[in-house]
Amino acid sequence: MQETVDTESGAQQVTAGRAAVRAPRRPGRARRLTRALAPLPWLAPALALIGFAVLWPVWEMFQTSRQHINSFGFDLGDYGWKNFSAVFDDPNLASVMARTGVWVFAVVALTVLISLAFAQLFNQRFPGRKVVRWALIAPWAASVMMTSIVFRWMLDPNNGVINVLLHQLGIVSQFNGTQASWLGNPTHAMYWMIVVAVFVSVPFTTYALLAGLSSIPAEVYEAARVDGAGRLRTYWAITFPLLRPAMTVAILINLMNVFNSFPIIYTMTGGGPDSQTSTSTVYMYTLKTLNIGQSGALSVINFGVVIVIVLIFLRANKNSLKES
Amino acid sequence: MKRRLAAAAAVGLSATLALTACSSSKSNTSGSGSSGSPITIKLFGADYGTAGTSNSTQTYWQSIADAFHKANPNITVQVQTIDWTDFPNKLKTLMQAKDYPDIIEGDAPQAYAQAGIAYKASDVLSASTLANLIPTFAKQGDYQGTEYGIPFTTSTRALYYNKKLFAQAGIAAAPTTWAELQADAAKIAKIGNGTIGYGMPLGPEEAQGESYMWMLGAGGGYQTDGNYTVNSAANISAFSFMNTLVKAGDTEANPGTVDRKTMWSDFAAGTVGMVGGSPAVVPIIQAAGKLQSSDWATAPFPGQTGTLTDPLGVDDQIVALNVHNEQSAIQKFLNFAYQDTYQAQFDSLYDLLPATTSAANAEANDPTFGAFVKAIPTSSAYPSNANWSDVSTKIKNTIGAAVDGTSPATVLGQIQQFALSDGS
Repeated sequence: MQETVDTESGAQQVTAGRAAVRAPRRPGRARRLTRALAPLPWLAPALALIGFAVLWPVWEMFQTSRQHINSFGFDLGDYGWKNFSAVFDDPNLASVMARTGVWVFAVVALTVLISLAFAQLFNQRFPGRKVVRWALIAPWAASVMMTSIVFRWMLDPNNGVINVLLHQLGIVSQFNGTQASWLGNPTHAMYWMIVVAVFVSVPFTTYALLAGLSSIPAEVYEAARVDGAGRLRTYWAITFPLLRPAMTVAILINLMNVFNSFPIIYTMTGGGPDSQTSTSTVYMYTLKTLNIGQSGALSVINFGVVIVIVLIFLRANKNSLKES
Repeated sequence: MKRRLAAAAAVGLSATLALTACSSSKSNTSGSGSSGSPITIKLFGADYGTAGTSNSTQTYWQSIADAFHKANPNITVQVQTIDWTDFPNKLKTLMQAKDYPDIIEGDAPQAYAQAGIAYKASDVLSASTLANLIPTFAKQGDYQGTEYGIPFTTSTRALYYNKKLFAQAGIAAAPTTWAELQADAAKIAKIGNGTIGYGMPLGPEEAQGESYMWMLGAGGGYQTDGNYTVNSAANISAFSFMNTLVKAGDTEANPGTVDRKTMWSDFAAGTVGMVGGSPAVVPIIQAAGKLQSSDWATAPFPGQTGTLTDPLGVDDQIVALNVHNEQSAIQKFLNFAYQDTYQAQFDSLYDLLPATTSAANAEANDPTFGAFVKAIPTSSAYPSNANWSDVSTKIKNTIGAAVDGTSPATVLGQIQQFALSDGS
């Protein structure tokens, strides 16, 4: 500190004689710079971590996407943008991207709707509330992979419990038939995987919304009651708007999570048959077994898509985030 | 004050750097093998049994590795095996992470030879062992005229059928043509209660094998004179016929998502009328305990006009990698592992066929396996191009779609296009 000031003032003296007008501005700028840099030592470890854990992998990913790397991991040299053009020429890409959109929208929308109801319920006082609140954590605490495997077996066309139940109810007429093969049919498989994704996303979302609900002051509700607002009106005019900051955060985290979701689809169908149940994240992995460079190119595209989604969403919800 | 903090930050930063450096660096053991310094070589193989049981191939290799270590105390062989469904992915991951095994069992050697990281077979195997390998399969390990891959275990494919279900459906003999197979499958499917007429596993586990049996039946195949002809008219007609079976409900639902192991265990459970299989189905049937040996039989696989004279013959190869320069240690171990006793032990464990002529001759008159052994000389093998490994992965991932709604010409056309463009 001492040293810097000394040189600064020395420099100031020299320049002062030449340009009297500029002289008073310079030390101000220098001081401002020093002040701006002052927190750096405190921030450095965190910045270094971000650099290594976030920025460096992103750079590596981008580098990979421009290399010709075969399935054995041998780098055959620079490949320009050919990996990207190969990915864009891929006949599966359009359907994979469209499916990703549907998957993200369906899972996030259903999750938020169900969680809103759950949060409302759990915010009430009723006997056994503690137990029920704990129970909701179970799907969250269990490994997503494990949940997916359990669901896959429950849907087994020959003897899965869901099929046995549906058979006893008379809905599934025959085991091993087309109807019983839920995960074999791409459309049915998507429905079931959305169910599983919602199942594992609801606990977190519910707790995020529950935290939002409990932060709404009781006086507001009292005021509403005094003004004679009905239950529905109270919800729409008070609860819902005041819940928006919590909901924005919950939706944002879910958007990124669901877009990047891998284990559910990979465990239940492997993205098959012929990538007909792949989202872009799963498809990226399928590409990896054949060509790492192309897989890297798709990663870059996915990365871009996530950033765009997040930016659009943040922009649309600028106000609700400010309020929090 | 400030300087001290900056120093602390610098220490923190370099610690992070050091940590990252540690995790990515690998100790590289090098040595000639004959010296006294301890050497570790890694073997990565497929699991032909069930992981975690005494039936696991891990146990088989480990016992060889232990016996070998006793004879050569300075060489340790690390064994890792993994089931067939995850095998290609796991192997690719190891390669991509530059965590190279020294010996790989279960993958085609050509791509490794092309990359220049494989030892020639003659570099890691004694001349006598080399000469004892069955010629049909030894040829499969060739890359540009030099043998790199060493056949380790082999099998030929046949049609398994459930005699009980055949009797129940009023069928007298095993089908010899596609038309008969279709009629029989329809009759068996009519029994109901989840019974599958013909099990057609086109899921990722081994879709390339099931597809090949049907292609051969139509007089097609993956290649003609060494050039890929995946979308040939014969192959398309084979898949069109398979579609009629699937649409009529004579097979399981959505074959493109059903793995071979599922169909085999369903056959063992007595709910599948017919399924294509290697001798490896036998222990599954015995373990399930539902079918007596009089309840099932095997027959040559039916083709369009008659039974296949050139059935699918598969050999799983061993390839040794030169990345760690452990030639002499690898050579010692492979010569040790290829002893007749270990070959015989493997065959009796999994009911597969041997890769050596001497062991095959010994089994030719076996009541169960004789027929499979005799089919070896005329069997059709998979392509041995350097890019077959990639093409095979592509087939496993996509060919099931050809019976799940997409037109066979489109699916086979895409595979053909991939086969021609990849690996150039």
